[in-house]
Amino acid sequence: MRLLSLIAAEDPTQTHHWLLPETAEIIYGGLAFLIVATGLWKFALPEMKKALAARSAKIGDQLKNAADTRAAAEAEATSIRQAIGDISGERARLLAEADSQAAAILAEGRARVSAEIADLEAKADADIAASRSRSSDELRAEIAQLAAVAANSAVSASLTPGTQQDLIEGFINGVGAAR
Amino acid sequence: MSDARIEAYAHAIVEIAEAEGNLAVVENELFRVARAVESSDQLRATLTDETIPAVRRQAVVEALLGSASNTTTQLVGMVIGSGRGRDLPAIIDKVVKRAASSQGKEVAEVRSAVELTADQQARLAAALERATGKQVNLKVVVDPSILGGVVATVGDTVIDGSVRSRLDQVKSRL
Repeated sequence: MRLLSLIAAEDPTQTHHWLLPETAEIIYGGLAFLIVATGLWKFALPEMKKALAARSAKIGDQLKNAADTRAAAEAEATSIRQAIGDISGERARLLAEADSQAAAILAEGRARVSAEIADLEAKADADIAASRSRSSDELRAEIAQLAAVAANSAVSASLTPGTQQDLIEGFINGVGAAR
Repeated sequence: MSDARIEAYAHAIVEIAEAEGNLAVVENELFRVARAVESSDQLRATLTDETIPAVRRQAVVEALLGSASNTTTQLVGMVIGSGRGRDLPAIIDKVVKRAASSQGKEVAEVRSAVELTADQQARLAAALERATGKQVNLKVVVDPSILGGVVATVGDTVIDGSVRSRLDQVKSRL
């Protein structure tokens, strides 16, 4: 009551110093400050520390996750790089194998074509030889035929009655002399 | 026709000719008929054509044989009339062989490009008898296809002195 009457009795316009408040006010203010500071220190500070620790832990977790993710990504990148390297090697191997197979096929094809050409040439040579021989035989037969016809004509023309009689007499004499 | 049937016809013809007493004439005429049939495709076709009546074929034979003896004409007509025209040469050859063997002779078929005179035939028969050691019954066939010379066949022996064979030899040698 007394305090209330003092506050009510005090005139605000009548201060003892232009800068500093009244002593009582300093006291009251100081006490209120201490109460508030104590309340804050006792109740708010632990909660703030707790929240800060939780946040720190959360950030730590996030950093750890980020580090893990980064490590995984780097591992994946390494794996991909390795896979790319493997693909390049496989590609090179496949290309080399394809080149080798193509060379083998080409060589085989060349050998086969060469063999076929050789066979064809041999067959052509044989055909030419056979054709030459056949032509020669045909020519010989033709000549023989012509010669036979010519001989036939010549002999027939020369077979006069006198010749016929000579042939008959020659046959009779020859048969008679045979034994 | 079977050989037995040909033999039977030949036997019958020889018996008839002998009975008629002119076997030598008949077998000579038959031999000429056989050679004529062999050398003419048209005559052979006519005598063996079953679509031509037998009477007509017999008339052809009679016209062909004109101056031949009646026995010959009738015997050939009998063979043609019985449908054995195709076998006529074979039957006649058997008749000739039988006639020759009945005289103890072998048939000597002689082919010549021209006719042989009687003297040539006699000398040739003698020469063939000397050469073969057999009595021969000479049968001469004029065959212009041999061109010249003579081909004599006695049994299985063939003595070929024809110009045709010489030309064939030259041709084969060529």
